[in-house]
Amino acid sequence: MSELFQETIIISIFAATIRIATPLILAALGELITERAGILNLGVEGTMLMGAFMAFVGAYFSDSIVIGIILAMIGSALMSFITVFMAATLKVEQVVTGLAVNLLAAGMTIYIYKLFFSGGAGGFPTIDPMPTLALPLLSKIPYIGPIFFTQKAITYIAFFMIPAVWFFLYRTKWGLEIRCLGENPKVIDTKGMSVTVRQYFAVIMGGVLIGLGGAFLTIGLVGRFVPEITAGRGWLALVIVIAGNWRPSGILLAALAFAFLEALQLQIQGIGVTHLPYQIFLGLPYVIAIVLMVLKSGKGRSEEPARLGMPYFRGER
Amino acid sequence: MCGEKTAPQSVAKQVSGRGPELRPFLKVENVTKRFHQVVANDKLSFDVLPGEIHCLLGENGAGKSTIAECIYGIHHQEEGTIYINDKPVALSSPAEAISTGIGMVHQHFVLVESLSVLENIVIGTEAATPILDFKEAEASIRTICERFDVHIDLHAKIWQLPVGQQQWVEILKALFLKVRLLIMDEPTAVLTPQEVQRLFRIFREMTEDGMSVILISHKLDDVMRSDRVTVLRRGKNVGTVTTSNTSKSELTNMMIGREVELRVKRDAHEHSGPLLEIRGLRAKNDFGAEKLSGIDITVNRGEIVGIAGVAGNGQGELFETLMGVRKATDGTVILEGDNITNFSTHNIQKKGMGYIPDDRFSAGLIGDFDVQSNLILGAHKEPPFASKGILNFSKIKEFAQKSIDDFEIKTPSEAAICRTLSGGNAQKVIVAREFAQATKVVLANQPSRGLDVGVIEYMHERLLDKRRSEFGILMASEELDELFGICDRVLVMFKGKILGDFRSEDADIETIGLLMAGQKVSPTRKPV
Amino acid sequence: MSLTIEKRLAPSKKWMVLSILFALVGSAIASALLLRVTGADVGVAFAAFFDGAFGSSRAINKTLLRATPLILTGIAVTVAFRAKIWNIGAEGQLYAGAMASYWIYFIIGPDIGLFILPVLFLAGFAGGGLYGGLAGFLKSRFQVNEVLTTVMLNYVITYFMSYMLVSGPWRDPASYYAQTPRIDKSVWLPKIMSGNKLHIGFIIAVLCAIAVYIMLTRSSLGYEIRAVGHNTRTSMFKGINIGRTAILVMLISGGLAGLAGMIEVFGVSHRLSAEISHGYGFTGIIIAMLAILNPIAIIFVAILFGAFYVGGLTMQVATGVPSVITSAIEAIILLLFLSASTLTRFQITWKDKT
Repeated sequence: MSELFQETIIISIFAATIRIATPLILAALGELITERAGILNLGVEGTMLMGAFMAFVGAYFSDSIVIGIILAMIGSALMSFITVFMAATLKVEQVVTGLAVNLLAAGMTIYIYKLFFSGGAGGFPTIDPMPTLALPLLSKIPYIGPIFFTQKAITYIAFFMIPAVWFFLYRTKWGLEIRCLGENPKVIDTKGMSVTVRQYFAVIMGGVLIGLGGAFLTIGLVGRFVPEITAGRGWLALVIVIAGNWRPSGILLAALAFAFLEALQLQIQGIGVTHLPYQIFLGLPYVIAIVLMVLKSGKGRSEEPARLGMPYFRGER
Repeated sequence: MCGEKTAPQSVAKQVSGRGPELRPFLKVENVTKRFHQVVANDKLSFDVLPGEIHCLLGENGAGKSTIAECIYGIHHQEEGTIYINDKPVALSSPAEAISTGIGMVHQHFVLVESLSVLENIVIGTEAATPILDFKEAEASIRTICERFDVHIDLHAKIWQLPVGQQQWVEILKALFLKVRLLIMDEPTAVLTPQEVQRLFRIFREMTEDGMSVILISHKLDDVMRSDRVTVLRRGKNVGTVTTSNTSKSELTNMMIGREVELRVKRDAHEHSGPLLEIRGLRAKNDFGAEKLSGIDITVNRGEIVGIAGVAGNGQGELFETLMGVRKATDGTVILEGDNITNFSTHNIQKKGMGYIPDDRFSAGLIGDFDVQSNLILGAHKEPPFASKGILNFSKIKEFAQKSIDDFEIKTPSEAAICRTLSGGNAQKVIVAREFAQATKVVLANQPSRGLDVGVIEYMHERLLDKRRSEFGILMASEELDELFGICDRVLVMFKGKILGDFRSEDADIETIGLLMAGQKVSPTRKPV
Repeated sequence: MSLTIEKRLAPSKKWMVLSILFALVGSAIASALLLRVTGADVGVAFAAFFDGAFGSSRAINKTLLRATPLILTGIAVTVAFRAKIWNIGAEGQLYAGAMASYWIYFIIGPDIGLFILPVLFLAGFAGGGLYGGLAGFLKSRFQVNEVLTTVMLNYVITYFMSYMLVSGPWRDPASYYAQTPRIDKSVWLPKIMSGNKLHIGFIIAVLCAIAVYIMLTRSSLGYEIRAVGHNTRTSMFKGINIGRTAILVMLISGGLAGLAGMIEVFGVSHRLSAEISHGYGFTGIIIAMLAILNPIAIIFVAILFGAFYVGGLTMQVATGVPSVITSAIEAIILLLFLSASTLTRFQITWKDKT
C-alpha cells in the first residue's frame, strides 16, 4: 500500500478526482434546477447519454469540439423537452416519464450508432478528445497547479457552475420563482405567473447542463462513443442531489466524494496493490450511494422541495 | 359593540337610498358556472359599491367560493358578464384580475413556508428586481403596516409565524398591489373572537380609502358586521339586503329556505364513569417541535366532550396520537382501565376507538376505491368481510347496501367511486364505517366542516344516539355553536395544552374566546 | 370558443383502450420512419417481422418463449407499482434469482434429476425476493427512495455476478467467455411439446399471472396493496402497516422477477451468464404500464413484446436493419401511450367564451 503515497501518484489521484467529478457535478446541478422547480427528472441517465452521443456525432462529422458541444446541448434539450412536456403539460406520473426517456435515449443512440458507425473494417470510430487546457501561471503552482489548473475546458465550466447556479437560485428573481415552484406552485399561479412556462424553462436549462456532463464523457475523455457509456452516472447524479441536500455546495462535496473514491479505485487497480477482485471497486460507488442515502435519512432539516414530483392543477379543491 | 367604526357616510347614504348615486365597482350579471353536471352558480347577479364591506352568505356548497374564483380569474363562467367600473371584463387568469384591481385571500393560505414574509409579498410583482433588491418594497410595506397598526417581522419565515400573522401576510400581498377590491374567503375560521374584531377594524380602515371588501362566510356573526349581504342558496341569489335592516333569523331563513333550529336539542343524560383517560400526553409534530405539551382529558361513558380552539393548536396531533398514528413522547392513554399508549393503530381500533378525521379525502377515505371498499377499510382482514385472507364480496355488498340505507348516503350504487361523492355524503361514508367499527369511543375532528346544515343536523343526531348508547365522544370544532349545542363539556385547547374545562351550561363566549387566544382567566369560572 | 381542460372524476375506460391503440398505431408509423432512414424496404421489413413472430408454429413457439420472462417481470413490476412502490430493480432481482438457483444446482448437482426443480424454483423466487426485500426494508426503515436503491442494486449484482463468473468458482474453465459450464440436460426445464423449445416455464408464468390477479383483486393482502398505492395516509389511519406492506410487496415483486431469472437459466440458456437477460427487467416496466397494471392483460402485452423481439431478429436477417430498433420502438410505444392516456384523466372540451 505504501506505493500509493508517492507524490506523483497522489497528485494523479486528486487530478483524476477533479476530472471524474466533472460530469457528476454538471448532471447534479442540472437536476437540482429541475427538482427545485418541483419536477423529479428520472431521465438524467438518458439525457446524459443523448448528450454524450450527440457530442460525439457532432465532433466526428465536423471535426470541431465546439460543434459537438452545441449538438450535445440541442440533443439534451430535446430529451428535456419531452420530459417536461409529459410532466408539466400532460401531467403524467413523473417516475414513469423519466424511465421512458431513458429507454428512448438508450434505444435511439444504439440504433443510430449501429446504423452509421459500426460494422466497418476499421473498427470503432474515434475522434481526438478535447485538449487539456493548462491555465497560464496557475498551472505552474506546485501540487495545486497540476491538480486544479491543468484540466479541460468543460471541467473549468463545471466548477464555475457551482457558484453560478447558487447565485442564480438564491440571488436572482428567476431563481426565486423557480424555488417557489418546488415549494408551493399555487403561489406563482395566483400571482398571475405561468407555472408551466417556468417549469419548461427550468427543466430545459437543467437538461442542457446534464447534456454537457454527458458530452464530457465522449469528447472530453475517451474520444469515442460506446453504448451505455454513462454507466449509471445519471443515477448517481440523482443520489448526489439528495446527499447534497439540494444545495450547490452540498452537491460539490458529494460529487467530489464519489469522484475521489473512483479515482482511488482506478489507481489501486492500475498498480495492482491488493488482491481484492476488481469488481468490488467497480461496484463500490453504488454501494456508497445506498449507504449515503441511509445515513442522510432523518438527519437535519431536509431541503427537499415540498412539492417535488407532484403535478400542479389550478383550482384543485 | 364598542370601539367599532361605522360604515363611511357615503356608503351608508347610498345604501339607505338618500345619498348621491355611487356606481358599483364590481357588477356580476347573470353568471352561470358549471362543474361537470353540477351547477355551482345559477344566473347569479349582484354588485359591490366602492367603500363597502359586502358579505356573500350561504351554506357550504351554495356557490360563494365559486363566484369569487370566477371574479378572480381562477375559473371562467359559462354564461354571464362581470363588469368593473361599468366596463365588461374577461378575467381568464389571476393575472388579469390583479391588473383590474382585484385581490383575493384564500381560505387556505397560498404562501411559501420556507421563504420570508418580504419574499412572499414581492415575488411576481414589479418590485422583484433581477438581483432581488427589496429596499424600496420593504419601506413601502412598512408604511402599510403602520397605517393599519399591525406589527410583523418582514424577515421572518412564514413557518415561524402564527396563523393570524400569516393571514396578515396574505392581506399585505393584496395591499401591496394596490387592489381596489379585496375578496376574503372565510377569513374568520382561523381566528379567535378578539382577532376577528381586529380584522373588521382593519376592513373598516380599508374601506375609508375607497376600497371594497367582499367577505365570503357562512357565519352570521361576520355578516352582521358588514354593510350589505347577498344570500346564496344552491347557486342562486336569494336576495341582497342591507345588514342594518335585517336579522340573523331572517338571514338563516333565506340561507336555508326554511325555519331551522339554530341548535339541536341535547337531552339530559347522566354519564356513567370514566371511559377514556388521557394524562400528561406529549407529542411532537413532523418537524420535531413539541405540539402536545401535557394534555389531560377525561371522557366519560355516555358523554360528549368538545374541544374549542383555533386550528393549529394541536388538535390534529392529539387525535393522531390517540389513534396511534403519532408517537406519544410522554404521558398515558387509558381506555377502560387498559393502557393503550403507543399501541399500533390496528390494536387501538380493535380496542374500540373510531376516528372521523377533518381531512375527509386525505385521511378518511380512499378516493379511488368504491364506496363498499371504503366502508370495510380497517375491517378488511377479519370476518365477516374476510376469512383466511380472502375477501367475502357478498357480505361486503350486503353491509354496504345496509349502510347506504341507514345513513341515507346519496350514491348511484355501492360500487360508485368515492371521489365522485359530495362532501356531505363522503362524510356519511366515514361516519357509517366508524360507527360500525368503533365499540367504545368515537373521536371527531371538525366533523361539520364544509357540510350543509341538513347533514350537520343528521350527524349531530347520530352522535347524540351514540351518547345514549354509552359511548364516549371527544370532538374538536371551530364552531362554538356546535360545541355548546351537543357537548356536555367544553374544553379549550391552546398551544398543546388544555386551558379550560367547563360544563357547557356554565361556559360563555367571552371566556372561551380569551382562552382560545391563550389569555388566562380569573377564577370566577368554575371548571368541572 | 376556447379549449378547456378539466380533470375527470373517474378515469375513462374508453380512453384507456384508445390510448393503447394510439400507441400501437403511432409506433407502427414511427418504425416505418426509422426503417426508411436506413433505406430498407418498409414492406419487406414488416413482412419479415410478422413472419418471424407469427408465421409458423415454430415462430409462435419462439414468441411465447421470449414472452415467458416478460410475463414474470411484468407482473413483478405490476405488484410493486400497484402499491406505488417504484421497483426499477426487476433486472437485478432477475439476476439474483438466477444466481440463487444456480448456486443450489452447483451444490446439489444433477444427480437427483428433475426432483431438484421445485427446490430451484423456490431458490429463484427466494433469491429475487430477498434482493427486492432489501430495497423494501431500506424504504420501510429509512424512508430511502426505492427508485434509487433498486437502480443501485441492479449495478451491484451485475458486478457480483461478474466476479463469480470471471474469477470465481462458477467459471467454466473450458470457455473463453464469462459463463458457467453447461447445465446437465437432466435438469433442464421439460418441454411442453417435444420438438419445440417452449418449456413449462411459460405455463408457470401464466399461472403466476393468474395467481397475482386473484391475489390483487380478491385477497385482503391485495386490498391493502391497492389501498397503500392509492392513499398511504388514509391506509395508515385505518391500521394498515405501511412498512410491512412495502417489504411484503418487494419480496413478492423481487421473487417473481427472480423466478424469471431461474427460468431463463434452466429453460433457455442452460448456463448462467450476463446474457440471460436482454433488459427483461426494464421491458417489464413498459409492459406493466401498457397493461395498465392488470396481470391478465400483462400476458397479452408480454406476448406482443415477445413478438417484437423475435420478429426484430428475422427482420434484421432479411433487411440488415439492426434489431435494436425494437428497443427504440418499445420506448416510443410507452411515450405515446403515456401521452394519450392523459385523456383518460382529463377531458378536453370546447367552451363558449363570453
